[in-house]
Amino acid sequence: MSDDEIKALILGEVAKIAPEFDPLQIDPAVDLREQIDLDSMDILNLMIAIHAATGIDIPEADYPKMATLDECVAYLGAHAPR
Amino acid sequence: MTRSKREIPHYYLGTSIDLSNTLSWLQAENLKRTVADRILYSVLLLKAVALAVRQVPEMNGFWIGNESKPSDAIHVGIAISLRQGGLIAPAIHDVDKKSLDEIMISLRDLVKRVRAGVLRSSEIADATITVTSLGEQGVESVFGVIYPPQVALVGFGKIIERPWALNGMVGARPVIMASLAGDHRASDGHRGGLFLAAIARLLQEPQKL
Repeated sequence: MSDDEIKALILGEVAKIAPEFDPLQIDPAVDLREQIDLDSMDILNLMIAIHAATGIDIPEADYPKMATLDECVAYLGAHAPR
Repeated sequence: MTRSKREIPHYYLGTSIDLSNTLSWLQAENLKRTVADRILYSVLLLKAVALAVRQVPEMNGFWIGNESKPSDAIHVGIAISLRQGGLIAPAIHDVDKKSLDEIMISLRDLVKRVRAGVLRSSEIADATITVTSLGEQGVESVFGVIYPPQVALVGFGKIIERPWALNGMVGARPVIMASLAGDHRASDGHRGGLFLAAIARLLQEPQKL
């Protein structure tokens, strides 16, 4: 999966959770929770969607490493099966 | 809300609860699970509230026509904020009888349907006690307003790591502030205190929830 594909996947899921939010407005370097007002259920749903699409099962302890869009892309890029 | 504050003589109590046992148990439990089966800590709070209600039943039910009408069923309303603004508190039914997994499934389903705007009218109408959790937004404590004709509302704030003294030693522990807004016609501060203490005690043995 390329970085752009990962980004598209996450933004697609975010759009389902917060349809009122314009994905183009998202600052990739700022915490997604704060930026789009995500709660723990939203985060869990995001992780489930990522798992379904990529097969990567992200342990709970790693959630803090995926706070921003940039960090999500970096984490998933590093953990994607080659 | 206006009606609630005008008609219900609220009293408020708050207590700090050490969640070390609760969270380390949950973390170990979630490690065994794939992401789709993981449980959120809120589920443990909901179950603890429902089981505490069994010990202090006057927190559960309604005040109708100048008398208390306790409920045998324990339907816990969950205050969920709507993305477009506003608040709704639909119920998960029989929380005391459900396993943590069943509560998690109900909660996920409920949040999904709240967001999609498809709720059954019974779910909105028949909560017997409500839980509100503003911890996600970062506040340390919340003292809520009872949903009439209910007689109690439990609030949870953010989990914060705090210095906590135990057996003469101070250590850092994850602590949550639990509060109770009670209807003074249906219960009093003494019973309310027992209720919060029961919640705190139940959370110390998460494996039994």
